[in-house]
Amino acid sequence: MNIVACVKQVPDTEALIKVKPDGSGIEEGGIKWVMNPYDEFGVEEALKLKEKLGGEVTVVSVGPARTMETIRTALAMGAEKGIHIDDPALYNADAYTTANALAAAIKEIPYDIIFCGQRAIDGDMGQVGSILAELLDIPQCTIVTKLDVGDGKATAVKPIEGAQLVLETSLPCVITAQKGLNEPRYASLPGIMKAKKKPVDVKNAAALGISVEPKAKIEKMTPPPARPPGKIIEGEDPAAKAAEVIRLLREEAKVI
Amino acid sequence: MAHGAKHVYTVGNEGREVFWNAPYELILFAFTAVAMAIFAYGLYRRWQLWKAIGKPEDRTDNAGARIQSLISNGLFQIKTFRDVYPGIMHALIFFGFFVLIFGAAIDATQFHIGLPFFHGSFYLWFSLIMEIFGLAVLLGVVIAVYRRYIEKPDRLGYMGTPDNTADDAIVLTLIGSIIVTGFLIEALRLYVNVNVDGFTWGMWSFVGYALSKTLTGIGYDTARVLHKWMWWIHTFIVLGFIAYIPWSRLLHIITSPANQYMMSLKPKGYLEPIGDFETAESFGVGQLEDFTWKQIFDSEACTRCGRCQDGCPAYLSGKPLSPKKVIQDLKTYWLERAPVVLAAQKAAPEGEEPQIPEPEKLMVGEVIDLHELWACTNCMYCIEHCPVCIEHVPKIVGMRQYKVLMEADFAPELQLTYRNMENNSNPWGIGAHLRQDWAPELGVKTLAEDANVEYLFYVGCSGSFDDRGKKVAVALAKILKEAGVSFGVLGAEEGCCGDSAMRGGNEYLYQILAQTNIEVMSGYGVKKIICMCPHGYNALKKDYPHFGGNYEVYHHTEILADLIAQGRITFKKSVEGLFTYHDSCFLGRYNDVYDQPRNALKAIPGLNLVEMDRSYAKSFCCGAGGARMWMEEDIGERINDMRTDQAIAVNAGTIAVGCPFCLTMMADGIKDREKEESMDALDIAEIVWNAMGIEEAAEEAPSGEAPPAEETSEAEAPKEEPSE
Repeated sequence: MNIVACVKQVPDTEALIKVKPDGSGIEEGGIKWVMNPYDEFGVEEALKLKEKLGGEVTVVSVGPARTMETIRTALAMGAEKGIHIDDPALYNADAYTTANALAAAIKEIPYDIIFCGQRAIDGDMGQVGSILAELLDIPQCTIVTKLDVGDGKATAVKPIEGAQLVLETSLPCVITAQKGLNEPRYASLPGIMKAKKKPVDVKNAAALGISVEPKAKIEKMTPPPARPPGKIIEGEDPAAKAAEVIRLLREEAKVI
Repeated sequence: MAHGAKHVYTVGNEGREVFWNAPYELILFAFTAVAMAIFAYGLYRRWQLWKAIGKPEDRTDNAGARIQSLISNGLFQIKTFRDVYPGIMHALIFFGFFVLIFGAAIDATQFHIGLPFFHGSFYLWFSLIMEIFGLAVLLGVVIAVYRRYIEKPDRLGYMGTPDNTADDAIVLTLIGSIIVTGFLIEALRLYVNVNVDGFTWGMWSFVGYALSKTLTGIGYDTARVLHKWMWWIHTFIVLGFIAYIPWSRLLHIITSPANQYMMSLKPKGYLEPIGDFETAESFGVGQLEDFTWKQIFDSEACTRCGRCQDGCPAYLSGKPLSPKKVIQDLKTYWLERAPVVLAAQKAAPEGEEPQIPEPEKLMVGEVIDLHELWACTNCMYCIEHCPVCIEHVPKIVGMRQYKVLMEADFAPELQLTYRNMENNSNPWGIGAHLRQDWAPELGVKTLAEDANVEYLFYVGCSGSFDDRGKKVAVALAKILKEAGVSFGVLGAEEGCCGDSAMRGGNEYLYQILAQTNIEVMSGYGVKKIICMCPHGYNALKKDYPHFGGNYEVYHHTEILADLIAQGRITFKKSVEGLFTYHDSCFLGRYNDVYDQPRNALKAIPGLNLVEMDRSYAKSFCCGAGGARMWMEEDIGERINDMRTDQAIAVNAGTIAVGCPFCLTMMADGIKDREKEESMDALDIAEIVWNAMGIEEAAEEAPSGEAPPAEETSEAEAPKEEPSE
């Protein structure tokens, strides 16, 4: 079985995010970069599927040179090879352009099933997986928490409000992984060492023959407004203090 | 005087004919030769097994220190005596046998060669001494039998079931009967000879003499025949004993002193670093072959005395781990495997790799259960108290390394901890950039701002990120400032010390963290370091030198005790209530820091210090060492609750600690036992700072108990967790 896992390198959830003064993006200095946690579920599911049905796992990622670390992480977990789409025109690309680049790379290799994270924790668009499926013209099951593959079809569980859907689809298809799908493995040390020698193809937009013209553009990025300082209500009489709280909530905070 | 010659012994020239009435010399020699042959073959066979499996390791360097260990642990039984009752039991047998063997050697020399001084007062004192030590052995055997079969202490078993073997009974019977038959021979000889003219010194052999007085009614000829029989019985038992040594627990007569001689001379708690990650194919200990020969030999020195188990926090709290069981299980497994490996090695043609059959059992997972493996807190009680210098903890860490590095198969919560350490250089996974924010109001300078300081204060993860730990860091920084100590911190450049990674088997992650820290510290030319956490203290002091990080490292209690002694810390306030000090394993047993924390406490006016039952080297772990801090504790009782109970038992109002892990564990224990009203857990730095009385003199704080405001400034308001 030919399995593809798409991964994105994102800032660690605990990293200190600072917006560039010109609002064009975030300051990247000093940030610890990690694999998007949802993509990690995808990689783990890909590896489990390989272990069950045989075959190999190819990791595909779009991003600058540092993205290689994340590809190596997936290789250390057990994937066989990687494709690194590295083109300055694609850094911070929108969901469509990214999906288009992924689709172009994936079209060149055999694939039976493709895993993506249901969204990346940096841009929070949640579109790449779906667009990728459309561009490849294959079915998709999104936000999947349970997956069963066999007999040329995939059965996926997708939680919805108050219930869960059980979806069945033919292969090839795109699955976008949600938390709960599995517990990603910890890479073994021999895995880490072997990953350094596994093949990774580096390609740019020209090699893939794709357009890098974005469909959507980030106009401006602004940090969330600073949290106003807390207020301590002084006074002796609890009833008066309570009344003051009510007044402030109604008149200043305007929440009641 | 050659044997056979007659000699007349009289008052003033007391003595006796050695081997009296036992003249079959050739038969004796023949049987002795057989016994020695069985002994020698047994030992040779064992020697081959010892050589069959295990990586090389040099344990013969520094003979001076090794002889010292042999003398103190072997000859003087120092560690054996740490437990008085069984210590005395063993000493009676050990010293008794030691003296009796010398006595027998003197007897034999007298018989074969002749000793010019073997008469007169020498003989009389010799007789008396032999009598006393013979009695000592007998008493020792009686105590041993009583202990093992009647008293049945838990340590001579596992989880309430005694682990007695037939071998134990055989050995005790052999030793007991050697002494009993020895006394009976003597009694019969004295019975026959006491009436010989001029023989008046029989009572110097007081046990035999007293026994001889009970032998009334036996004819002298019968007594002679009985004597002869008894002599041969005694001799056969002795020869049997010698032949039995390599085939029984008696082998410890050889292996235990050998192990004491070959004890680790490395710093206490030393773990051999993995040298080469790039080219090695296997990491940690997955099978017997991955141990060094010495690590396997340890199990041969083990006598199942159970001292290790007696203080093991995992075992005592009902977890399946017992250090004794680990060693014994490894020994049993080795005894299954070693002959197979040896046979394969012998069968292999010269110069070819032997075809060794795969083991039937997994060593890590089957022989040693994973619950056992992961229950260890690395508290090092077992190593500290093993009288024969067995090193349990490195074996456990070695097997953990195999599970973590090779199989990546370990507790999910520990995986999360390691990811946090990888991504944010702290086990909690709090943003690494927040490391310097433990006390912005104190204005402690980083080395980047001013590197011209005497000490680096290595705050560590607890002091930087844990709310409780931060208070300790603040108290310590205030004391240091007040005492005029020149110090700085690394701020965001500081990283996790890596102790939990190392002890949890993730040596790869540990070395990355250690090297990162060393690079930063050495970059600033750091020479002296103060650590707030004993785990960092131990790692920086003893493990970082492997990677080129050589610093003078102090724990803050050492610094505090020193500043108090110098008069640079003075106390304006007195404290009330009863305090007890909980020894952190990584301070006490690992680094012998026992007195400094106590001295610091005792210097505080009004402070009443009471010791818990288990303290100093016998201290009971809080349960957080060996990466256990980050793991669920779901078998048996909680170790921290048990330790808290020990503090409650001495009516302590405050549990004083010197370790942020212990602090968390004790505080949790106090909560679990619902003693928050009457008890508190405090770091010594907090107690000292409070007693210095500076805060209260400076300002009449509206609420004296409230911690200093530590709200992070607005710019650093905690980030929202990404929603799932």
